[in-house]
Amino acid sequence: MNGTPRGLNRFLLSLIGLLLLLAGTGMVLVAAVPAAAHWWQDYASAQVAWLQGYEERSRLLLTSQSWIWLAAAVFFLVVVILMISWIANQGKGRASTLLDYQGNVDHDGAAGGVKLSCAVAENAIKSALLERTDLYGVSATSYDFRNEVGLKVRVFPRQGVAPNELAVDVVELVGALDELLGMEVPVLLSIGTGARSRFTKAERVR
Amino acid sequence: MRHAVRRETHSARSGLSAFAAIAITVLALYGLLEMALAAVGEPAWLIDPMSAAEWIAGLPGGSSPILLGAAGVFAALVGLVFLGHGLLPGRRARHVLADPRVAIVVDDEVIAAALAKSARMAAGVTREQVVVVISARVVQVNIRPTSGIRISEGDIKAAVEGQLEAMALDPQPSVMVNLSDSGVIGV
Repeated sequence: MNGTPRGLNRFLLSLIGLLLLLAGTGMVLVAAVPAAAHWWQDYASAQVAWLQGYEERSRLLLTSQSWIWLAAAVFFLVVVILMISWIANQGKGRASTLLDYQGNVDHDGAAGGVKLSCAVAENAIKSALLERTDLYGVSATSYDFRNEVGLKVRVFPRQGVAPNELAVDVVELVGALDELLGMEVPVLLSIGTGARSRFTKAERVR
Repeated sequence: MRHAVRRETHSARSGLSAFAAIAITVLALYGLLEMALAAVGEPAWLIDPMSAAEWIAGLPGGSSPILLGAAGVFAALVGLVFLGHGLLPGRRARHVLADPRVAIVVDDEVIAAALAKSARMAAGVTREQVVVVISARVVQVNIRPTSGIRISEGDIKAAVEGQLEAMALDPQPSVMVNLSDSGVIGV
């Protein structure tokens, strides 16, 4: 529920995959089929000859080297910047403010603002769930999802706990949270396992 | 919330994306270095750009065709992996519980543990004798009975199906109970 650019991920991965697939197939063809190798050498040497001619003609006065190398260096720099921004976009989208309400005199008789931090909802849910003995871990985080702040609660039950009964209890808690906050925050409950649930003892009695 | 649930049950592909981005960054940094050296007329570090272009244009040239073919097959396979990650749906091992207020997703391991518990209760065996395997549409319950004690497949199936019914999963899987032919003693 975070802001990872999934469409972009898939598009770029498909593009890289397609390019690698084409390059690999080409290498196999050039290595295995003499006719393909002849065609490639004829075609590519013509391109390289043109490039060499252009490099001779495009020398700069200052360095006596062609400007195409400078242009290629700038191109690679842009690629590096784009790749770093692609990595930086993975998993972003954490929110910090749940509610920002500006009151005015006409509306409710008092001027001033109300600002609720996301930690209010997170800690309320967390402290309520940590009292349970059938869970060994709880995490609550807020995300800005499609211009709306949503709460993601991940709980880690012990082995053998029925997820539907656990879900009913959590939904009840969320109802209490709605009353506490006076607004309905979108909540996503994720019931999962970690390495610890396999090593701690199963719950036998509740 | 429908979008949020879809995002939770499908992979974001962020791991492979980060790997690809780092690999491309390293290659681009090397390209940047060689191009910058060529632009100021310094000697190249490994190979200058024009010689590299000539070498690529001269392929297969002097290099061994087996090595080149193997490199090509490897590149094509890596490309297929990337293409598969880009195009396949990438479902994660999770199911959705229907609820009007809260969007709920459950890892399949949690469901399997809960179903194994009810199968164990119905069959009267120990934890080690029950293995539950869950995929998107099938729940397979494998039970190894205790030697000399007959257990009923129908009872176990009813118990597991009853609990699965109560969970109201989406997609709803069907139950298969598998009693092993040989029993065990002393577990």
